[in-house]
Amino acid sequence: MMAYSEDHIALAAEYALGTLDADERAQVETMMSVDRDFTAMVEAWQHKLGVLNQMVGSVEPRPEVWDRIKSAAGLSAPQAPMALPEAPAAPPPAAPQAEIVESAAPVAEPSNVVSLSTQTRRWRTIASFTTAIAAALVAMIAVGAYRPDLLPDRFRPAAKTQVVEVKTQPPAASPPSAQYVAVLQKEGGAPGFILTVDEATKKFTIRRVGPPAELGNSYELWLISDKLPKPRSLGVVGSGDFTSRPVLASYDSDIVKAATYAVTVEQGGGSPDGAPHSAPVFTGKLIEAVPPAR
Amino acid sequence: MLTPAELVWLIAAVAKGDEAAFERLYAATRAKLFGVVLRILRRQDLAEEVIQEAYVKIWNSAGQFNPGLSSPITWMASIARNRAIDVVRKRTEVSIEEEPAAMEVAADSPDPLARREMTEELKRLLECVGRLEPDRQKLVLLAYYNGWSREQLAAKFETPVNTVKTWLRRSMMDIRECLGV
Repeated sequence: MMAYSEDHIALAAEYALGTLDADERAQVETMMSVDRDFTAMVEAWQHKLGVLNQMVGSVEPRPEVWDRIKSAAGLSAPQAPMALPEAPAAPPPAAPQAEIVESAAPVAEPSNVVSLSTQTRRWRTIASFTTAIAAALVAMIAVGAYRPDLLPDRFRPAAKTQVVEVKTQPPAASPPSAQYVAVLQKEGGAPGFILTVDEATKKFTIRRVGPPAELGNSYELWLISDKLPKPRSLGVVGSGDFTSRPVLASYDSDIVKAATYAVTVEQGGGSPDGAPHSAPVFTGKLIEAVPPAR
Repeated sequence: MLTPAELVWLIAAVAKGDEAAFERLYAATRAKLFGVVLRILRRQDLAEEVIQEAYVKIWNSAGQFNPGLSSPITWMASIARNRAIDVVRKRTEVSIEEEPAAMEVAADSPDPLARREMTEELKRLLECVGRLEPDRQKLVLLAYYNGWSREQLAAKFETPVNTVKTWLRRSMMDIRECLGV
């Protein structure tokens, strides 16, 4: 591949990001039509940024859209009930790596047993576990929480009521809201859980990406806030891939956004007394991953 | 949602003109693609037009999909999103938001990342975005998710367009370096 100037690289990147104006976009498309390497660079950017779409909520289009697609694509008229060929049992050899999360799970550390004094210390210093990125983001979120007037409109906490004017279909149930995500990591860095919180509903979902709890133990999720005297349990993380619960609704938004989230290993079924019995194994803070739609 | 491997197989069948496979592909991906373009266009009628054009293009160019370079859903979403961006950039003379049919984009269900689609690549990208200064993180995410132009971003950040231009460029270069590409 030929070496491109930084201008070219930036142009490809901004095309993929979407911030070029109409003329510049046309220019990039012209370059793509004559330069395969440049096209490859643009496509690489589109792929890299395209993973962000994983976090965009799905919206069903109206059924008539499919009819229009069929006629525009020149497909045959109404189809008989589908008699589909079965997908081959084995995936094609060139299958992409989207499921890598499943297989790249870090190996379980056999022992989470920590002496009591160490535990206490670790709980006290837990705030320092957060990564630099989380710290930077939390600073921003904290400004949003305490001094929303310092932020541009768009970043102030989302209004809870919005006028929805929709011509062609009934308004959808909930206003768009920001999505927060925390990657709960071991001290060494291996991610164990991904926690997401919907800002408006405060509903959280936690997905395990690391190894399952050892037999007889359960993972339990905790909220740790400097505004609360002790860690609060958010419940046992189910044995399935993900667990979804509304229990954060009883906490203030400020607390939810600024808290540290931690997962401990507890006896099967969770802590019997509402207090954690192991040092936090995985910890993280929320970052705002999808801004509100307006 | 089908697995990426199943989607690859469906696209391969679509490339051979298999209409039933196309219908299954549409059923499996339409809500995600519509969510992406509706967020940018904020108008149902425009979003439907863009989705229609995008799927026609997918039907016609399925043979060009290279599973070694991109995941199926990313490839399809790029086609739809590019079309949506083209539409908003060409409509700058009319403010979409002021038209009567303007609507809120409401994701009918926030798609928690906790779903199976959350990939290692997304985590890596978010980590790199997270290393940017807070304002620039916002800038990049608003540009991507909402499809905003430099002018719209400049207005929101109360900053000259040229500054936004510089920020965007540096941010992309920082992300590039962070991702190691």
